[in-house]
Amino acid sequence: MSIIRPFRATDLFAFNNINLDVWTETYGISFYLSYLARWPDLCCVQQAPNGPLMGYVIGKAEGTSTEFHGHVTALTVAPEFRRLGLARSMMSFLERVSNDVYGGFFVDLYVRCRNGVAIGMYEGLGYSVYRRVREYYGSLGLGPGGKDDEDAFDMRKPLSRDPFRRSVRPNGRDMIVSAHDVS
Amino acid sequence: MSAAALDRQIRPIYDALDTGSNKSAILACNKLLKKYPKSDLLKSLKALALVRSQKVEESLVLCDEVLASKPTDDSTLTAMMHVLRHLGRHSDMVVMFEDAFKRQPGNEELGVQTFFANVRTGNWKTAQLHATKLKKQFGDDRYVYWGIMCAILQANDHITPPNMCDLLYKLAHRLASSVWSATEFNPDRLHLYLSILRKLHLYDDARTVLDSEQGKSICSRSLACDELRREIWKEKGWLKEEGKLAEERIVHKQDRNWLEFLSVLDATFSSLTSSNEAPDASAREECTQEAARVRILFTKVAEEDGRKDRSGLLALLELEKRARIHDVSSDPSRLVDLLQQYHETFGDKAASYEDLKPYLDMDGEDLTRWISYLDGLPHSSSSLADLQRSINVYKLSRYNLQPSQYTVELEVPRALHLKQEYLEALSLGKDLPKTELQPADDLAILAAQVYVGLYSLSGDKDHLQHAIVFLEYASKKSPQSYLIHLHLIRIYRLLGAPQPALEHYRLLNVKQVQNDTLSHYILNRASDFSLAASGDLTYASECLESSQIYLSNTQEVKKGNTQTNPRRANVRQTADFIVRAFNGEKYSQIPDFIAFEDRLDNSLERDLVKMEHVRMRITHETINSDLIDMELIELKFIFERMHHDNRDFALLPNYQPLGQPSFVTQTTLMRKQPGFGWLSVFLKIYIRALQQASDMDNTVEEKLLIGDRPKPSTGPDNNVPLNDRVSIRRPEELAELTSDELTFYNYATDLADWLAPYHDHTRPPPSVVLAEATKQAELKTGHPLKGLEVPVDSGNGHAKKAEDAPLVKEAPASLVTFFTHMQSRFKALLESNSPSPELLHVASITQEALILLNIETLRFKNQSVIKVHKLGPLAQSFKAIRASAVGILGEMSKDLIALGEGEGTSESRKAFVEQCKDLQGDSNITHDYVLDVAKKVTDARKKVLEGFGKGIARVCTNHA
Repeated sequence: MSIIRPFRATDLFAFNNINLDVWTETYGISFYLSYLARWPDLCCVQQAPNGPLMGYVIGKAEGTSTEFHGHVTALTVAPEFRRLGLARSMMSFLERVSNDVYGGFFVDLYVRCRNGVAIGMYEGLGYSVYRRVREYYGSLGLGPGGKDDEDAFDMRKPLSRDPFRRSVRPNGRDMIVSAHDVS
Repeated sequence: MSAAALDRQIRPIYDALDTGSNKSAILACNKLLKKYPKSDLLKSLKALALVRSQKVEESLVLCDEVLASKPTDDSTLTAMMHVLRHLGRHSDMVVMFEDAFKRQPGNEELGVQTFFANVRTGNWKTAQLHATKLKKQFGDDRYVYWGIMCAILQANDHITPPNMCDLLYKLAHRLASSVWSATEFNPDRLHLYLSILRKLHLYDDARTVLDSEQGKSICSRSLACDELRREIWKEKGWLKEEGKLAEERIVHKQDRNWLEFLSVLDATFSSLTSSNEAPDASAREECTQEAARVRILFTKVAEEDGRKDRSGLLALLELEKRARIHDVSSDPSRLVDLLQQYHETFGDKAASYEDLKPYLDMDGEDLTRWISYLDGLPHSSSSLADLQRSINVYKLSRYNLQPSQYTVELEVPRALHLKQEYLEALSLGKDLPKTELQPADDLAILAAQVYVGLYSLSGDKDHLQHAIVFLEYASKKSPQSYLIHLHLIRIYRLLGAPQPALEHYRLLNVKQVQNDTLSHYILNRASDFSLAASGDLTYASECLESSQIYLSNTQEVKKGNTQTNPRRANVRQTADFIVRAFNGEKYSQIPDFIAFEDRLDNSLERDLVKMEHVRMRITHETINSDLIDMELIELKFIFERMHHDNRDFALLPNYQPLGQPSFVTQTTLMRKQPGFGWLSVFLKIYIRALQQASDMDNTVEEKLLIGDRPKPSTGPDNNVPLNDRVSIRRPEELAELTSDELTFYNYATDLADWLAPYHDHTRPPPSVVLAEATKQAELKTGHPLKGLEVPVDSGNGHAKKAEDAPLVKEAPASLVTFFTHMQSRFKALLESNSPSPELLHVASITQEALILLNIETLRFKNQSVIKVHKLGPLAQSFKAIRASAVGILGEMSKDLIALGEGEGTSESRKAFVEQCKDLQGDSNITHDYVLDVAKKVTDARKKVLEGFGKGIARVCTNHA
């Protein structure tokens, strides 16, 4: 139960309950505006009936020819609104737009290798690991999780334009690339 | 010269600029300029490097040279664009591109850039005309849409008169109808078209478009268009159709967007709400039947979804709530039944309490049933689900706590009980990594709010200490809980311990735009805690840091020619994105970007912080004409702004019972929240004082400023001259002041009224001021001031005026009594052992009054002014007031220092620990742990009391 509506520039004044969470990054204003100025249809928020924002997704469309795809740049849900299926509904929104509006071949996203909960959720939604990107998250340094803390999985899910599932592969976890090789 | 050779030589300059090596860029430019002294590109690049190194004056010279030559080549124009943006000369940018386009009218890129330059300045009218020109010349349809967007933006601009608005929308409509086609599939073009139809109430036209295949297809994939469609339907009152559509989506597409449920609900009650007259029996009957039908629908949804989605059950609650409002509810027990059902199904979700809150306002039988239901529920923390349920029950019971049950005697055991529950529940999260939130956090927050409520009930600050001890413990267990940090910040400030509050604020890692919405947690009334006078600039720099976000996003007019405190680049970031949105035809975003920019540029918090910073600054800096002139210009700009309040107060949950003051209210210092009125009063105080102290009158200021001026204010008094507006007093503004601030305001007004005639008489004439400014600028930069003709004046600056000086009047008695009044306020607070924030507030206001006196009398420190104008008696009367003020402040200083010393003793720590004894008692919150917290609190209090006391002593010496 929540309102799904477009992400607006003025939502930046209201997303504190989401962004004060340790895993959610607050970027410069230009970050959000540059997405809204180009892919407003790939950004949406979920709002509780009584006002507060619950979560949001920010995405973009990129790549050329068969690599053209929707990309999930940020997906986040405020702690008090977790376990309600919000992430799932925002992902399906982004997949729908990537498929229907942009005609992308797949949707992809990056997730910390250590974030088992998130990886499990994405797998449940039909995503699989395409490759492992070394030192994608540099800022935290090596924590107790070792390399899993700073490496990312690039996870993908094919859309209807890729009926033969050419954009995914079964052994993605073993395909290791460095952060320089990905955009 | 060959173009290629020059190109090769210029490359390093670009590289230097890119890497921020402005110095080497300037050197490289100088070298090449010797070879090619006429190159506009080199000049503009040098101007850019200069302006980036804050050498505004030199840059201006080059800049004007290049502009005069009317450049047309791309690279020069681009470089100049950056220079002009840095200088805030957006209008010059428009002229530059216009000239270039006139010279090369076939150059589409130049035409587009001219359009963008107008967009950057918000010059919608010219931009619209220019777009029409572009369409004629180059034929592209998008130029028509650009023109439409500009017409709408001009209509929405607050400076456009209402009758003009309508015309502009009609123009937009004419343009849109000419270009709209049935094959158009760009959602943003549709959005733009619809927004015009909506504004002009052409609902049927909108409906024709939306009901077509084209419209349906676009709405199905664009949330923005669908949102607009929904609003149009609602406005026109097509509730039934919309409800039917929504029902289909809910049933057939499993759409669970809450907006669909609201549409069904609106339709259900439309027979009662659609007309203004009282509904008749048949309408009532229709509604009752419809409600029964929808109830079955929602019940089915709820059953099907089970625990997967809350919409069905919540919609049933909303249905019942509205049925009761309209008096068509058929079952008096249904509300509580539904609440119970909701709690049983979703009680283990954290959101459940907030979900139910709108339905809890009840009484009589309902309330008794609901309370007894809640009382009968077991509390357990054996699993995460049980714990969450238990937490929700605590919150729910507390919400409906009756006044008879809300007493100190009953609340104390409740707090201790919550503490116990919290400690037991901690075991559930003991294996979680530090980055995770503890599932029991909310119990700690509840307990803290109970303690704060107790403080509010009893005025006993021991309860606040309890809250601190407990929350600090919880914060250690759950270091990432921002809510715990925020609670601690509010409570520490209430206890007069600003240092730990600041530490917790820093742990929040507030960044970027969050500074605007969150800095009030720490900077609200920060000058009361600032130790700037004694040399500790922590708060002053916190103000500056939190304000960076505005500087990097705004255009500022700089006092260029006499600038002493160079500002960072003032690039209007948002304007760039508006341009981008035009370029990519994302029209739906443009009004939002403008609204965003407006809210950020004219943020109330921005200027509250600015005001606090000025108040801190004057306690530690020498008051001289530079400071006076700079602040005066800035405050006058601020005074013209129409402010927006972006402060995020909703972030803090409120767990106090219905009807009691909220947690935010209870933790607001002195129970007064500075807002628009407070800001207005302080701006008036300071603008008046600084205006009197300054030699710079309006004509001088106009000549010394560079860059564009802000758009004129459209406030209610915009036709009243500023000088009169600063004297207007409004009751609603006064209501935001503490009693001490009000006294101060009266003092400041009396002071200004008294001295105004003497200032006006002795202020040197504009010609003298300008001559002096030119001299200073030339000394500094080697260039005379640009565009300034100083009239020849034979006087020496103190030329005697034709008329005699006004008669010296005795100082108003209120000036002296102000200080004695503040003295007795201070003593009374001291004796009643009041919390230190109020004590500091009184001391701070008294100190401010002394400094204000000094600002107002600075001009008369100059002995020659006194002599020439025969104002000796006036100077004598300041001395008396000052001496009395210094005496009183000296005593306050001593008292504060003594109080601070008392705080830092082992006795005070012991007393603290003793008071919190009931929190100790097991292995978790030990005696030593409480002692640590006691030390933290008492040390912080000692620091601020002593520091403030010493600061006052220093201010007294400086201003004696």
